[in-house]
Amino acid sequence: MSTISRRRFLANAGLLGAGAVLAEGALRRACADKPLNFSGWVFKPDTVKDYVEFYNKKYGGQVKYEAIPWTAYHPTMETRAFAGEIVDVMYCNHNNRERWYENGLIRPIDDLPGTDELKKKMTPANLDSLKSKDGSKLLGLPYFTSLFVLIYNEPMLSQAGIKAPAKSWDELVEHCTKLKKDKVSDTPFLPNWNNSPSGTMPQFMTDCFSEGANVFDAKNRVIVDQEPGAARAMERWHKVYKAELVNPEVLTKTSSTDTHRIFWTGRYAYHTNHSYYLKTIAGEPENSKLAPKKAKMAMYPGTGQTYMWTDSYVVNAKTKVLDDAWKLTKFLGGNLNGDWYVQRQWCLISGLDNPYPEMYDHPEIIQSYDRWIDLKMLREQYKKGRVIAAYKEPWYGEYDTKAVATVHNIIRGTTTVPKGLKDLVALQKSLA
Amino acid sequence: MAVGIPTPVAVPRLGLRAVRLSEVSFAWLLVAPAILAIVVVVAVPLAYSLWLSFTDVNLLRTSGAALELFGIRLPLYRWVGPKNYLQVFSDPLYWDSLWRTLYFVGAFVIEATLVGIGVALVLNERFPGRPLMRSLLLVPWSLSRIVVGLLWIGILDFEFGAFNGYAQRLGLLTGSIAFFKDGFSALNVLVSVYMWNQAPFATLLFLAGMQSISEDLYAAAEVDGAGYWQRFRYVTLPALRPILFLVLVLCTVNGFLMLDLIYILTMGGPANETTTISWLGFQTSFAFFKFGPGTAILYTLTGLCLLLTFIYHRLILARFEPEG
Repeated sequence: MSTISRRRFLANAGLLGAGAVLAEGALRRACADKPLNFSGWVFKPDTVKDYVEFYNKKYGGQVKYEAIPWTAYHPTMETRAFAGEIVDVMYCNHNNRERWYENGLIRPIDDLPGTDELKKKMTPANLDSLKSKDGSKLLGLPYFTSLFVLIYNEPMLSQAGIKAPAKSWDELVEHCTKLKKDKVSDTPFLPNWNNSPSGTMPQFMTDCFSEGANVFDAKNRVIVDQEPGAARAMERWHKVYKAELVNPEVLTKTSSTDTHRIFWTGRYAYHTNHSYYLKTIAGEPENSKLAPKKAKMAMYPGTGQTYMWTDSYVVNAKTKVLDDAWKLTKFLGGNLNGDWYVQRQWCLISGLDNPYPEMYDHPEIIQSYDRWIDLKMLREQYKKGRVIAAYKEPWYGEYDTKAVATVHNIIRGTTTVPKGLKDLVALQKSLA
Repeated sequence: MAVGIPTPVAVPRLGLRAVRLSEVSFAWLLVAPAILAIVVVVAVPLAYSLWLSFTDVNLLRTSGAALELFGIRLPLYRWVGPKNYLQVFSDPLYWDSLWRTLYFVGAFVIEATLVGIGVALVLNERFPGRPLMRSLLLVPWSLSRIVVGLLWIGILDFEFGAFNGYAQRLGLLTGSIAFFKDGFSALNVLVSVYMWNQAPFATLLFLAGMQSISEDLYAAAEVDGAGYWQRFRYVTLPALRPILFLVLVLCTVNGFLMLDLIYILTMGGPANETTTISWLGFQTSFAFFKFGPGTAILYTLTGLCLLLTFIYHRLILARFEPEG
């Protein structure tokens, strides 16, 4: 029988213990020291949870994600800041970004590593959108970008003997009038005139741009009363409303999402809305009667220019974990370690676009978009996307909300077009 | 063994002097914790929000003078005097919203009270299934108003609504009815939906009131030859006056404060034609981040509620309060 000395026993036990400690250390993922808070508004929160989980696993993060309903999101983040809570990384829509920056809630990101490379990859218009009012600071990385597109119901147009979608506004009105007259559709046109900030006013700017009109001057003052194109757009809106070519209930819809769902029914010929909504309309047969690909995109009539915006991920100015916050922000809105994971996921899952053109050369993206949209046409439309700088003004949010009533009055004819446009100018002046 | 008087036990002195409190002081001592709680959770927030209505508030700029309470820092912001109120009163949108609010509250209070009394009269009668009916009655009231809004969108929507769908299938309609097509129609839908949600509570209160009326009064009225409506007019209604006061006050206050159905059903549109004072105050505070004018708007609402409560009290209750 072999024996073991006390010294050998102690040496072996020590080795075993050290091995165990080292093995545990090797097996354990490298974890961030402190948890990191990340908040966003509710849009596919399960998808966000999935990629936050992916991030935590792959990069050893301790990210705690929380989704807040869209309408209450920005006030909630402000009241939390008021109470001293620090949410390290946040969503921020374009209307609130400058306000948050000027009031010290968020920090610029120009000094953080890798920002310059990302700036070079972004389309210049989107990059401008993300900058501070004076253009000197980059305030966030893109969550997504989108613009207004024209969508048409191909089977309905064919049924009425219309061979191609309208290329001009006159043609569109003519098609809709014919469809109503032939009783193919009661209300063939579905513009995004809903009552929320993503509805009537962005649609107003879009149609003004498509008529060659400016909405704001270089100093961000509203000038629609001097723009014949704006008057033409509003005359047309009133005309289609009066001719009952539009479902009047669209004026009380509370979101663009609710508005686009109406088009699922297949009872409308034309729809104008954010580009990504075509994914559910043409790509989700379980929801939409116009899927697969019975609804299509056409280039926007007139000049083809439409309103484009960029929402973002921003970093809290008071974050105590800046390195981790920036790492997460790059994962979300950029290409952490060269991987566009989140940006790609949004393209694939929701058709949410981003301002990095190189993404659209990826075979997976091309294949995915092919199921619901003509990607080449969408990229062409993006070339005509037009950003504004007025949302960086402190009065913009209030103007944008209050102006809806005036535009609704123009649509319904309760005020004349010239007076309505003058009222918009007066409203902006009163708030500036 | 004889039972004697217990021997006094020597109680060790604790060094505390017996404190003799008067009855009033003792009463104050007992209610003090409750009063303290009310001050902390009601009076302080009320006073602070009233203060905010006279200041220029920016939630993101909290430096400067502040009030420290229980470790919580309440910034005092810049005092602007009555500027917020003057700004609110000079805004035509405020006055439009006020008249619309009065219409909404008036229509809602009348509908909820009449429906409440009517249903309570039915449920006060004996019939098979009455307990089940009484339980089902509470369902609309127990639902969250967000759910109520979504439910009624599901019923009234132009495209997807059950009402239009079934009416068309039954051949009652050829097209669809657009319930939200204009402001007046949408406002009346809001009144009706809110009534559907709130009337059960009024019913419950009226029912409780009816059940406390002595059967002898009805028997005596019958002996005097009173019919159903006369019994209702001369026995039930007078006995329900305190309940009627309560229902009117609650419905009025709730009507003024109603916000969530607007949020779900119309967002104040089309144009501003379903914008009430509470929605305007909410938007001013939370969409435009103007908490000073926002609280000023909502304080005018508080004033209106208090005024109407006073009027109701004078009209309905004061004359019937027992003397002495």
